[in-house]
Amino acid sequence: MNTLRRILFWLVVGLTAVFLLLPTLIIVPMSFTTTQTLEFPPVGFTLEWYGKVLGASDWQAALFNSLVVAFAAAILATVIGTAAALALHAYNFLGKTVVMGLLLSPMVTPVIVLAVGMYMVFSGWGLVATRAGLVFAHTVLAIPFVVVSVLASSRMVNPSLAPASLGLGASRWFTFRRVTLPLIMPGVLSGAVFAFITSWDEVVIALFLADAQTRTVPIMIWNQVRTNLDPATAAVAAILIVLSALGVLLSHKFREARS
Amino acid sequence: MTVSTNDRRESVTAGPLSRVSPAFWLIAPSVLFLALFFLFPLLKLVAISLPGGSMEYYDQIFTTPVFLRVIGETFRVSLIVTAVTVAIAYPYAYAMAHGSRATLLVLTVALLIPFWVSLLLRSFSWIVLLQNTGLINDFLIAAGLIDRPVRLIRTPLGVIIGMVHILLPYAVLPLYTVMKKIDLRLMEASSICGASWLRGFARIYFPMSLPGVAASAILAFTLALGFYITPALLGSPRDMMIAQMIAGQFNEQLNFGLGAALAVVLMVLTAMAFGLFGAARTALQMRGRRKGEI
Repeated sequence: MNTLRRILFWLVVGLTAVFLLLPTLIIVPMSFTTTQTLEFPPVGFTLEWYGKVLGASDWQAALFNSLVVAFAAAILATVIGTAAALALHAYNFLGKTVVMGLLLSPMVTPVIVLAVGMYMVFSGWGLVATRAGLVFAHTVLAIPFVVVSVLASSRMVNPSLAPASLGLGASRWFTFRRVTLPLIMPGVLSGAVFAFITSWDEVVIALFLADAQTRTVPIMIWNQVRTNLDPATAAVAAILIVLSALGVLLSHKFREARS
Repeated sequence: MTVSTNDRRESVTAGPLSRVSPAFWLIAPSVLFLALFFLFPLLKLVAISLPGGSMEYYDQIFTTPVFLRVIGETFRVSLIVTAVTVAIAYPYAYAMAHGSRATLLVLTVALLIPFWVSLLLRSFSWIVLLQNTGLINDFLIAAGLIDRPVRLIRTPLGVIIGMVHILLPYAVLPLYTVMKKIDLRLMEASSICGASWLRGFARIYFPMSLPGVAASAILAFTLALGFYITPALLGSPRDMMIAQMIAGQFNEQLNFGLGAALAVVLMVLTAMAFGLFGAARTALQMRGRRKGEI
């Protein structure tokens, strides 16, 4: 490569990196501004917006809803997703490809299609405007992530360990609890973190299924963004980003533990 | 479901339930759950879109200018976004694949940080950046490129910027995977044989990276078709995409049949685009296998 082309190339790559990082990096500083409007660069430093958000009862209720729904969806998706991944890994059966396709297809279905479909069906079942409805919907979205994560860690386990345990007289359940599960634990935990974040960030389905009592944090943000942009929104966004970052670090730790 | 396993203990245990392999009991909960809460809602949409087996809603969609315009706009925006995304992703993936370890680390971190921040928050951030008093306009004015703020939000340009930002990581990763396997010594060889860099790139590197380009373009396009949040927040209602139209039929027009038919159209378009993705991957694998034989 000649020099000019080299400079141009790295300029494009550098600008792309800035483009990627810019929107994420400005959110946290913006939440400290002392102005009434969103400013970047921020003016002064205050924690007032955090106090305002954390002290407001509607934000508290939304935070509570988000946490309950995300925990429940993560647990449900992790349990049934892990079971499915174990079967897909250890057994051959007719229709395995079809099952695999079904388990992964929520990942590629446009979420607006899921949202309106669930809205129509759930309203007949009395699940609209309930936390249970949100949990089921978010579990659907989260299952593929758990399956992928657990399958990946199952492939790294020595395949002769479980038969060895069974051959030595251990029961199937004992083998699962004491041999298989500890070995695939990193995949299970990082799948659970993925599932939690999927629910925690989800807004489209929640827009259709939640009401004023069951609305989650993303819905509050959506409403704020559409009506009045103020630094309080940036404060909530900053809280969400920090929580996501913690999640990423956690799942990274689990993966390191695997290798 | 017929189940076969190589576990010898299977045949020893008796009782009607233990005849069924454990695989069935492990798979059943998730399949049942998805059948109930995922497949059934999708089938319900198909049913609502065909009242009494009549195709009236589909006729309406494919004969009314307003719906055709929204579908056309969805394709137009998705194609532009795909082209821009892949064009930016290509050099980025190249730098990741052939740069130093430090470059790879920095570029990977820059790629993954936004990947982990939700779509909603990133669209929110773009509103702040693109507004009349936002950083982008401030910068352009300070640089002397413009005299007064340019309108960027509530325009197609704003939507394209926001969507490219969200799709970039999805486009870079398949490109990187393919480029990592390309041997740069081939380019050296071509240059020793007297070919210019451009000629070597056009005749050797680019064709070898083509499976990655195809995979990343199709992935970006498939995801772009269904975008809802970004166009709703950064675009104007005039340049609506199909996902917004679907939401509108359910929220405002309360025309569930038409909304369901639009949703089925989007589902089919996405499935078709994703089918292309599968074909591109198969082509990629065959290419790899052929290379392995040499």
